Amino acid sequence: MAHRPASLALRLTLSIGAVITVVLLTFGWMVERSISDHFAQQDVDELNAVVQALQRSLSEYPMDEEPAALRRRLAEAVSGHHDAEYRISDERGAVIYATPGSALDGFSRLPPSGYKIDLDSVRIWKDNGRMYRGAVVWLFPHVASTNTRWTLAVATGIDFHLRYLESFRNYLRIIMLAAVFIAVFSIWVAVYQGHAPIRRISREIERIKSDQLYIRLAPDAVPAELTELAVSFNDMLDRIESGFRRLSNFSADIAHEMRTPITNLMTQTEVALSQVRSVEQYREVLYSNLEEYERMAKMVSDMLFLAQADNKLLKPEIVSIDLAAEVLGLFDYFEAWAEERAVALVLEGSDVCVQGDRLMIRRALSNLLSNAIRHTPKNGDVRVSISSIDDTGVLRVENPASAIRTEHLPHLFDRFYRPDISRQRGEDGAGLGLAIVKSIIEAHGGSISASSTTDLIVFEMILPS
Amino acid sequence: MKLLIVEDEIKTGDYLRQGLVESGFVVDLARTGLDGRHLALTELYDLVILDVMLPDVDGWRILQALREAKLCTPVLFLTARDSVEDRVKGLELGADDYLIKPFAFSELLARVRTLLRRGATPVFSDQLQIADLVLDIPRRQARRKEMRINLTNKEFALLELLVRRQGEVLPRSLIASQVWDMNFDSDTNVIDVAIRRLRAKIDEAFEPKLIHTVRGMGYILDIRGDIS
Repeated sequence: MAHRPASLALRLTLSIGAVITVVLLTFGWMVERSISDHFAQQDVDELNAVVQALQRSLSEYPMDEEPAALRRRLAEAVSGHHDAEYRISDERGAVIYATPGSALDGFSRLPPSGYKIDLDSVRIWKDNGRMYRGAVVWLFPHVASTNTRWTLAVATGIDFHLRYLESFRNYLRIIMLAAVFIAVFSIWVAVYQGHAPIRRISREIERIKSDQLYIRLAPDAVPAELTELAVSFNDMLDRIESGFRRLSNFSADIAHEMRTPITNLMTQTEVALSQVRSVEQYREVLYSNLEEYERMAKMVSDMLFLAQADNKLLKPEIVSIDLAAEVLGLFDYFEAWAEERAVALVLEGSDVCVQGDRLMIRRALSNLLSNAIRHTPKNGDVRVSISSIDDTGVLRVENPASAIRTEHLPHLFDRFYRPDISRQRGEDGAGLGLAIVKSIIEAHGGSISASSTTDLIVFEMILPS
Repeated sequence: MKLLIVEDEIKTGDYLRQGLVESGFVVDLARTGLDGRHLALTELYDLVILDVMLPDVDGWRILQALREAKLCTPVLFLTARDSVEDRVKGLELGADDYLIKPFAFSELLARVRTLLRRGATPVFSDQLQIADLVLDIPRRQARRKEMRINLTNKEFALLELLVRRQGEVLPRSLIASQVWDMNFDSDTNVIDVAIRRLRAKIDEAFEPKLIHTVRGMGYILDIRGDIS
């Protein structure tokens, strides 16, 4: 089973939905990042404030202060920063002060990163179920001292920020999920709505039955994207309609063309049988019937040939054909007949070879020539000229004839078409000769056309060479 | 000359047999492919006329069986379909000629005679003669009652065909194909005109008349003047 392509609605919904989801995710990630950076910066500022407060407090007082007084001052130095915890140790690592209950022992063993805290030097860790952000920096115990540095580990609890971030993240997730759902649904609705013209066209097409081939889609009434479809569909309908009409005309013509000889045969035979007649008379009827049968047989085989051509069953056996030689052979064949009608046959032109099936090309040329000879008045010339243009061989057959009204010209190649309605059948064949010519030429990939001036009619056929 | 016809259509078979018998052939008619194959393989025939579309064993299989048995009896097949494939297939399988239905009996008869003649060693003679008409083949000249008759090239070719096949009705299509190499039906009376002109030269001033029209069928060259 051939793999059926996914529906347009599904494809559009999926692709646009994916794009929207990616955009929303990126947006959410950026918002979250910026908030979390902002919190980090806030923490760093807070920690720096603690460091500055401690530094200030240390530098304002004498260095020989009682350790207990120093501890008290240090504990009081940082007021207003309730979440801040810190631990100060001297250069030998002995603890000078630590916020009661704090757990900075492990952390304070890290090497100090400098005198000030920035985003790169803070660290985050967890202790006793709480999250901290903190850093280790140098502290100068006195204003004057430059060679003694104490170590300050300072940290602030960030659980509050984290909780806020967590709930913000959840909130964002829900909003994004909802947005994606709404977007996908709206896309699907829009796409479905967008396909409404297609469904309408399809309903219109459904209405077209074989007896209503004249119905056409209105290309102006559909969205621009579908105009081309509507136009090419209309073109297809044109072709089908004309083929259909030709076919039904053809069947009607066949019935009509058959009716005449059959009527003749039936009447003739019935009349002959209605009385006793002489052998001579019976024989006459049989001969007359035979002629009628022959004509019908010829018509049937011509129609079969055309049907084959219509069904693309003509398979020319391609050889190289010298057009002039073929025409001369046909002149030879038609010579006596043309002479009797006082029609001269003239060939002009150069040696041109075309590619084609010898028998079929000969048949086509023969039909063209016999048609020309038949319609040439006494003492007229049938003139055949051969030339080559680019990669084609061009053969023109022209004969004097009363001007054919231009409306007849394109129909000359139609089956059973006779411009002169009064012309009797029989003398003219079944009216299939030129149709056969056209089928043969087209089966060879060539073309044929007819044109006329006031006193000339010209057939021009072009064959690949 | 013994012929075999394999044809399942009752009327067609009957009339073909009658026509061929009246033309002087001995004819066996098989109405099924099985009978046809059996007869073709067991009896000796000078020619087999084979309908391709048979309900049981089709014409191709009979033809194949015949060729596999190394029998080179000439085979003429009849087909209702004017398709190239059919033609090519038949000729590839070793058929000698074919006719597309509907065909004229005179056409069939002429083809049968052509095929039968093909087997016989042709008589190469420089002269052909019927009554007082003499054809000098190498010089392409015709004389009647010792009088030289001026003929064009094609007229001579036409006369030669008629004389070589004297006594046979030659359909127009066969004449067109043999003399002018035009292997299709033309809706013109080209052949009639050509014959009329030939007749004017050969028969008008002489007795007995040699060229006769067989109405609805074609032309015959014969001494007897009793064919209508």
